[in-house]
Amino acid sequence: MTQDEHKEGIKGMANPGRYGIERVAYWLMRLSGLGLLAYFVAHIYETSNILRGQVGWDEFLELTQTTEGHLFLAIVIAMCVFHTVNGIRVMLGHGGIGVGKPARPDYPYDPASQNYRHKIGIYSAIILAAIAMMYGLAVMFGE
Amino acid sequence: MRESTIMKIHYGTALAAVALVAVHILMRLTMGFAESLEYESVLANYKFIPYAAMLELILILLSIHGFNGLRVILLELKQGRVYEKAVSYGCLAAMFGLIAYGSRTIIMTNMGMI
Repeated sequence: MTQDEHKEGIKGMANPGRYGIERVAYWLMRLSGLGLLAYFVAHIYETSNILRGQVGWDEFLELTQTTEGHLFLAIVIAMCVFHTVNGIRVMLGHGGIGVGKPARPDYPYDPASQNYRHKIGIYSAIILAAIAMMYGLAVMFGE
Repeated sequence: MRESTIMKIHYGTALAAVALVAVHILMRLTMGFAESLEYESVLANYKFIPYAAMLELILILLSIHGFNGLRVILLELKQGRVYEKAVSYGCLAAMFGLIAYGSRTIIMTNMGMI
């Protein structure tokens, strides 16, 4: 790492355009996790409206079952699928699966764990998230 | 608790939640999406005890996984004895709060207390 890179501090660390797709996956994993937690809390609140009876439930459905609501739900589906698939990749990596065998570090010091298997895993997570989002949109707007 | 144990719980809750959430979503697709969200349909789901038990399980699993994930993210940003304790206990309190609030909906609806 050069002196200039150190000077950038947290901004440099957070830069998703540097260090390859692994850094993008790192950010997407955290952002999708936070997004899903926010949705989960909202969903618990949303479903609690059933205690207000049919009128309360229908009133709340009118707010959520809209075009904007469906688009928001499609984004949630994409976040959910990406977080799941990438999460399984991370779990496998933590378990030592797909990270290669330990070896002496030689020039150009390519990290063995950041190999094509994990890159394929990340790209697969993104593609599957996009497909699931399209399917979700078809189900929600297809009626 | 050791961080390695917490991460095992984190991964275990994730895998279990994936399977149960898949069932929860598939239930929305057994009929039309809008139809499955109608009051009578949702009420019937809550009154069906095995399904209500599954919802309760999803609530617990996702609360543990979600708030532990939030704790991990917050601990990555900043470290310190007081900060780490505040984050850990704060996330634990939020987790119990959400489980209690969600359980109230499930139990009251299941028992017909509407």
